[in-house]
Amino acid sequence: MSAGGSAGGATGPAVPRRGRTRWALLGSVLLLAGLAGITSALDATAPRADRSAPAVADLEPTVLEAPIPCRRSDPDEVVAAIADRLRPGRVTAAIVVACPRLFDGREVVHVGEVVGDVLRRDGGAWVTLNDDPYALELGPFGAHRERAGFNTGLAVHLPDGTHEDLGPAGRYGRRGAVLRVEGVLERADAADGGGLTIRARTVEVLAPAVAAPVPVDPTLAAAAAIAAATAVVALLHARRRRRT
Amino acid sequence: MSAVLRPTVEDLRLIGFYLGRVLTGLGLLMLVPVPLAVVMREWNALSALVLGAGIAVTLGALADAHLRSRRQLGWSHGMVVVALAWIVGSAVAAVPMHVSGRFSDPLAALFEAVSALTTTGMSVINDLDHLEASMNLYRHLLQIAGGLGILIVVLALFSAGGSRVSTLYVSEARDERILPNVLRTSRFIARVTAAFGVAGTAALTVALLVAGFRPWRALEHAVSLFFSSFSTGGFSVMQSSMANYHAPAVEVIVMLVMFAGMLSFGLHHSIWSGDVGEVRRHVETRTLALVGAGLVVLMTFGLVRSGAYTDLGAVLRRGLFTLVSAISSTGHQVNAGDTYLSDWGVLAPAALVGAMAIGGMASSTAGGIKALRVALAVKAVVHDIRRFLLPESAVVVTTYHVGRRRILRPDVSRAATTVLLLFVVSFLLGTMVALTYGGIDVTQALFESVSIGANIGISIGVVRPGMPSLLQLVYVVQMLLGRLEFVAVLVLVGYLLSFARTPRRRRRSA
Repeated sequence: MSAGGSAGGATGPAVPRRGRTRWALLGSVLLLAGLAGITSALDATAPRADRSAPAVADLEPTVLEAPIPCRRSDPDEVVAAIADRLRPGRVTAAIVVACPRLFDGREVVHVGEVVGDVLRRDGGAWVTLNDDPYALELGPFGAHRERAGFNTGLAVHLPDGTHEDLGPAGRYGRRGAVLRVEGVLERADAADGGGLTIRARTVEVLAPAVAAPVPVDPTLAAAAAIAAATAVVALLHARRRRRT
Repeated sequence: MSAVLRPTVEDLRLIGFYLGRVLTGLGLLMLVPVPLAVVMREWNALSALVLGAGIAVTLGALADAHLRSRRQLGWSHGMVVVALAWIVGSAVAAVPMHVSGRFSDPLAALFEAVSALTTTGMSVINDLDHLEASMNLYRHLLQIAGGLGILIVVLALFSAGGSRVSTLYVSEARDERILPNVLRTSRFIARVTAAFGVAGTAALTVALLVAGFRPWRALEHAVSLFFSSFSTGGFSVMQSSMANYHAPAVEVIVMLVMFAGMLSFGLHHSIWSGDVGEVRRHVETRTLALVGAGLVVLMTFGLVRSGAYTDLGAVLRRGLFTLVSAISSTGHQVNAGDTYLSDWGVLAPAALVGAMAIGGMASSTAGGIKALRVALAVKAVVHDIRRFLLPESAVVVTTYHVGRRRILRPDVSRAATTVLLLFVVSFLLGTMVALTYGGIDVTQALFESVSIGANIGISIGVVRPGMPSLLQLVYVVQMLLGRLEFVAVLVLVGYLLSFARTPRRRRRSA
């Protein structure tokens, strides 16, 4: 590459112009702040569509009010004390991963949205059932703009005869079927190389897979068009400067 | 004229010119997922990517038009360009992410972009499982670009000769020039990546089809998995990471790709040239073999003793994969992060922390302290002990093998131990800041800090959407310091401080 140009440094001013260097630095900081401002404004003006209706109207309570962590080094009495507090209801991914020992080999109920892919093999199908707010309350992000954190879910193996009519799994623009599964939780499922899974016995479809259309953001589209046009003009300008 | 001591307009012009090239490259990278967005009818992602590309290309073109300079890049320029390229580049790369709405504020989007480019792989994205395919591809593209060294790839593409950009090559934390010039070295790196890309993606596609994926989804996951594994980045298409697949074949292929990613490109060159003996002689291979074997034993013992797994197959499958993921600095997870704390006992997570801290080989896509520095630091200690034990008149010479046999000089061992110490300081700093927030115990804080500071990405649950802003900022700094191995960032700090010093000097002279 030849970096030589009409504005060459070798013929530049002998006395360093400190003021200009500071302005250049200040300009860079302002540029970054401007970028943050523009993107924040675009985020704020995006269409705020209504959240989807909750996938399941009367969701059964969870087995614990909130996750109670335990460690593998904790004595059995600690886990037994947590077990005493269990009430009838469903497990959530957060409750299970906080203390997997508590549920190992137990019969559990789990409710969640099928996301990603339905992997049909091993005498059934592997699915991930998410039980986060996007799955059960708000619907997929994009159709609405409410942020509710990470996805959380559990791996479930559905036996043959229970997974054939699930419909497409949840992805962008689509909420997957919401299932209620009953089965045995395996903390270290040997058939899955030690994975934490639920081996489902019964499967009930609480809500079918539905489209969750994402509204097009006209302001963002206009901003993109302006940015693209500006880039083309800037490229042409640079090309002309190079030639002269 | 030294840029650090007396930065002038011409210095800034030169730095701005090269920074512009990087931004143009980033802009072009943002356009790669655009066809996918069109095919998948992901209109908002399309707008976000075009907006980001437009801004990046505009800035790059303006720099090209107005900041051309005849000056040669000096070392200080190179360092400052590299540091700024990663900071400003991350800020521009964050534009499409922030306007997607999935990040709580600009800092969170910046965190994601820095995590992608530095190949850390931790994420604070909301609802990843319903993310647009094109936006997911963009996240993974950033990782492969960052892993290969975005600056050097971009500059090699735009440059006709390599002499001026060689300073940038070294400044971007690459110690080894494989071929006589940087351009040829960059092309070799691109060839290696392409070869592994074709083979890895094909193998992963087949394995995913066998695992039950439909063809299009198999290809989509395979491409992303290759990018995140070879770059040792660790982003995943789904929140459940590798646990999404339930497929040993996929895990084995990903392990092989991660392993290839953590090898130095110098070693790749030796293997491609038929010099397989270099693998045996190379000090980093020996170090990693020794350390890896020790960590496998420690991990296996820890998992068996804690009772996490009773089946040896499970111990090896979960333990070995996670260990390779950690030492290669990739960060793919086969377990939910919280279970490392709740279900793996104490010894196995400790082995993981050790693996994460050491990391892969120098001049690879991997992060961490690097096996080379660990080896040199150990050799320096042994050298000193030998000097004390032998008669004063004895000449003690310590050697190591990297491409050829080299004598361990004091400046080399000092540089290795200095960076090693700086990594430790970074780990401790991140731990301290996390602990000030309460609700996080020392195990979690240390694990997360090492994972962030060494650009690994295995999370134990501290990093999540809505995490405290100061902690997020500290983690951003840690990721950048870890990727650039401190020197370039520290030079930039010195450069900026020099502006603050000037007025006082001028006042005194007045």
